[in-house]
Amino acid sequence: MGLPLLSLIVLVPAAGAVVLMVLRSDGAVRWTALAVTLLDLALCIAMLSGFDTTTHAMQFAEKYPWVPALGIAFSLGVDGISALFVFLTALLGTVCVLASWVAIESRVKAFMVSLLAMQALMLGVFCALDLFLFYVCWEAMLIPMYLIIGIWGGEGRIYAAFKFFLYTLAGSLLFLVGVIVLYQHGGRTFDILALTAQDLPFGIQSWLFFAFLVAFAVKVPMVPVHTWLPDAHVQAPTAGSIILAGVLLKMGAYGFLRFSLPMLPEASVYYSTLMLALSALAIVYGGLLALAQDDLKKLVAYSSISHMGFVTLGIFALNLRGLQGGILQMFNHGVTTGALFLFVGLIYERTHTRSIADYGGLMKLVPVYTSFLALFTLSSMALPGTNSFVGELLVLSGGFAANLAFGAMAVLGALLGAAYLLGMYGKVALGPVSLVTPYKMRDVNAREMAAILPLAAFVLWVGLYPKPFLAITDASVRHLLVQVNAEGAGR
Amino acid sequence: MNAATLYQSAVASLPEIVVITGACILLILGQLVRTRREDVLLWASVAVVATAALLTLMPAGEVRTAYAGMFVADSFSVFFKSIFYLTTLLTFLLSRRYADLEGIGSSEYYVLLLFTLSGMMIMASATDLLSIYVGLELTVLCTYVLTGFLRHERRSNEAALKYVILGAVSTGIFLYGVSLVYGLTGTTQLDAMAAAVAGDPRDPGLLLAVVFIVAGLVFKVGAVPFHMWVPDVYEGAPTTITAFMSVGPKAAGFAVILRVFLNPLVAGSDAWIVVAVIAVVTMALGSFVALVQDNFKRLLAYSSIAHAGFALFGIVAGGADGIASVMLYLLIYAFMNLGIFGIVIMMRNGAFSGEIIEDYAGFARSHAVLALLMLLYLFSLAGIPPTAGFFAKFYVLVALVERGFVVLAVIAVLLSAVAAYFYIRIVMLIYMREPTRAFEPALPPMVRATLAVTAAGTIGIGLFPAWFLQLAQNAVFGG
Repeated sequence: MGLPLLSLIVLVPAAGAVVLMVLRSDGAVRWTALAVTLLDLALCIAMLSGFDTTTHAMQFAEKYPWVPALGIAFSLGVDGISALFVFLTALLGTVCVLASWVAIESRVKAFMVSLLAMQALMLGVFCALDLFLFYVCWEAMLIPMYLIIGIWGGEGRIYAAFKFFLYTLAGSLLFLVGVIVLYQHGGRTFDILALTAQDLPFGIQSWLFFAFLVAFAVKVPMVPVHTWLPDAHVQAPTAGSIILAGVLLKMGAYGFLRFSLPMLPEASVYYSTLMLALSALAIVYGGLLALAQDDLKKLVAYSSISHMGFVTLGIFALNLRGLQGGILQMFNHGVTTGALFLFVGLIYERTHTRSIADYGGLMKLVPVYTSFLALFTLSSMALPGTNSFVGELLVLSGGFAANLAFGAMAVLGALLGAAYLLGMYGKVALGPVSLVTPYKMRDVNAREMAAILPLAAFVLWVGLYPKPFLAITDASVRHLLVQVNAEGAGR
Repeated sequence: MNAATLYQSAVASLPEIVVITGACILLILGQLVRTRREDVLLWASVAVVATAALLTLMPAGEVRTAYAGMFVADSFSVFFKSIFYLTTLLTFLLSRRYADLEGIGSSEYYVLLLFTLSGMMIMASATDLLSIYVGLELTVLCTYVLTGFLRHERRSNEAALKYVILGAVSTGIFLYGVSLVYGLTGTTQLDAMAAAVAGDPRDPGLLLAVVFIVAGLVFKVGAVPFHMWVPDVYEGAPTTITAFMSVGPKAAGFAVILRVFLNPLVAGSDAWIVVAVIAVVTMALGSFVALVQDNFKRLLAYSSIAHAGFALFGIVAGGADGIASVMLYLLIYAFMNLGIFGIVIMMRNGAFSGEIIEDYAGFARSHAVLALLMLLYLFSLAGIPPTAGFFAKFYVLVALVERGFVVLAVIAVLLSAVAAYFYIRIVMLIYMREPTRAFEPALPPMVRATLAVTAAGTIGIGLFPAWFLQLAQNAVFGG
């Protein structure tokens, strides 16, 4: 293993951001950003092709001392749980650059720098094997995201940016104290693997579980702390929404998988019913809210809350199918919802309205666009043959095994999903052509197609042949279950 | 005291002697330098500071006591003196143009800054309540004058007067505490005090004395309930002096507080409860009141109160890590705070005061690099990684949690979330609003250099904290 692959994956976008700063023309900035994200994507594919699916151990691990006096190291590695998200982040990074090609007109350089910085930090979060490094990346992300929403967002962007920043910061800071407590109990190290191996008393586990819960629940978002999400999503530019929905929301769930479950197994088992209840609540409540929206972006945003409820439901079902489904559903949601936000952005660029009532008969105006929209809409409502069907089926079967009532509520949420998504599609794509929107519209061009096609390919690939994806997660999920059950069974 | 010990004492305090002598020579030199040739004064002052720095850093590592145990040159003092040199040098660099603009560039300005520096150095090295007092008074007397240096401005005069009166009261309280200690223990030396009290360290009389001393010192770092002078003085003083005071004398105050608290006598008493309460209230007040400020200097005043509160948490934690965390915090604070003040000073040009926060709206549109620097300093002050400000807070929290003060750590982080609001509000203004005016920041090379140094410190310590952490820890363990 000569090449430090993960360091490259994390540092290439960061270096790219620095390079962008010295470029002068907007065109050069765009092409360089695209080249950097493509290079990063290629590195991620190289990583996945060398990924060993038979082991749960950390692969491609690297470790360099950083602050030895406090037991902090720059330590990276991926296992079955994180590998998919590293890839997803790089994929959506490329999509984001393409989606912002013409949508961002002012301060292009600053935007692309923020985008690449964001990508570096997100990859850092998924690759980090050191809790301090994880936290630094986790919180540093606030800076570029705050700027992306606040500078290039819509009308209410400043309010949305503040809300996003303060919500996430408040959550993260409690997490920070939790991290330090963990550090102190875990023998003064921030090494995630070493901290996972130790056995904490239940009292401390409980406290830490809730400290972590605040941070992760804000990010997911789970229901009582979800209110920043619709604002942030609606106001953010398209690329910002894609990042938010595609990657940022996954981090909360990833936090549960990487920290709460393996480090605090007893507390996770003990509070799993509570978490299942919150998840079921999010599924139904998010679905009901989505049903009532007229704004396309808001609809997709609330549907995200509902769909992320499926993810946490699967995770806290604490069985193999639930966990596998949850992780696969995280990946699916990133692809599908990322695509839906992209589509909302594409049509908004043409019509400058997001109100569903303004649309009608798009099928006649932009057939290619509408066909792909149909694919992603169906994927979002988990039609068999699409990616979400596989994930949602696994989650539901795991959820029913864990708790009948919450499983039933999740099914209700899936029905709601069909209602609001089909309703939206019907109004927007079918029927007579709306008089509000321009009569002539450009259909999808080559650049836009380049952003859409890979996402569409993953929708169908996962939907028709999910085996390779489940194989990646399999060993790690089994190991995780052993960790949770061996220590958590006592409760 | 014979010649040999006198010689030893003089060697140990050579940097202080150099600074004071240099200041005296400059005072005379100032009368000879013609107007429009003030650059000579500036570079002479820089040379004095540089010489002192060299003399301090060269023999670093050995502990030398002097003046019959009233003074010590140890690695602890070296660390603090380095902060003072850095602060003073950067203040000199920031001052040149600003002083011209405000018409305060006379030789006294530099001389007084040098005398303040010497006072701070004595504070860092003092190991006797009386030598602490000498350093303290030397520092504050000079800053009283510097605060009122804008003679034609009412604000400046008012600030100076307020500062003098409140400062005198706090000095009185401090001296009263010293006299109580002397009455109880028969000594004013910090080391001897602990030995003199063989009995109960929780003696109420002693506790009272400690509380008085702490109260006197708390005034210097601008913590509640002796914070009232801070906003007015920070607003009224020339901005360069505000920048200097917010970092240098404050760090000196912390140096003394640490010395007093390192003392087993105080460490054994329950004084930490007092400090914990002060820390919480200080941070809360600073953070909440700063939310409603519209003057940049006042905002930074409350921000500095909040930061003093956070640093006090490190003193509550105590122990080697606690002390090292305070020291590292002060070093990092010096970089980021001088940076943001450098921006405010740079904006002062022509009719534009640069003091009203709203005036910065849309600054990023025309000055991308300067706006990025501002963003860096502000996020660092807010404590967001990967800036140095985050690591400063992080280390204090580690020290707190290790001592079992988890609840205090939670309070500290929640209050710093409140504080984050007013920093990111400024970021919002400069990045997300449309500009309403043209900006013409004054950027002579010296100001550029200051901004470069502070930015390098703010991002550098954030990314590679290991070496600086080592410095702070060595300063505690080695001293």
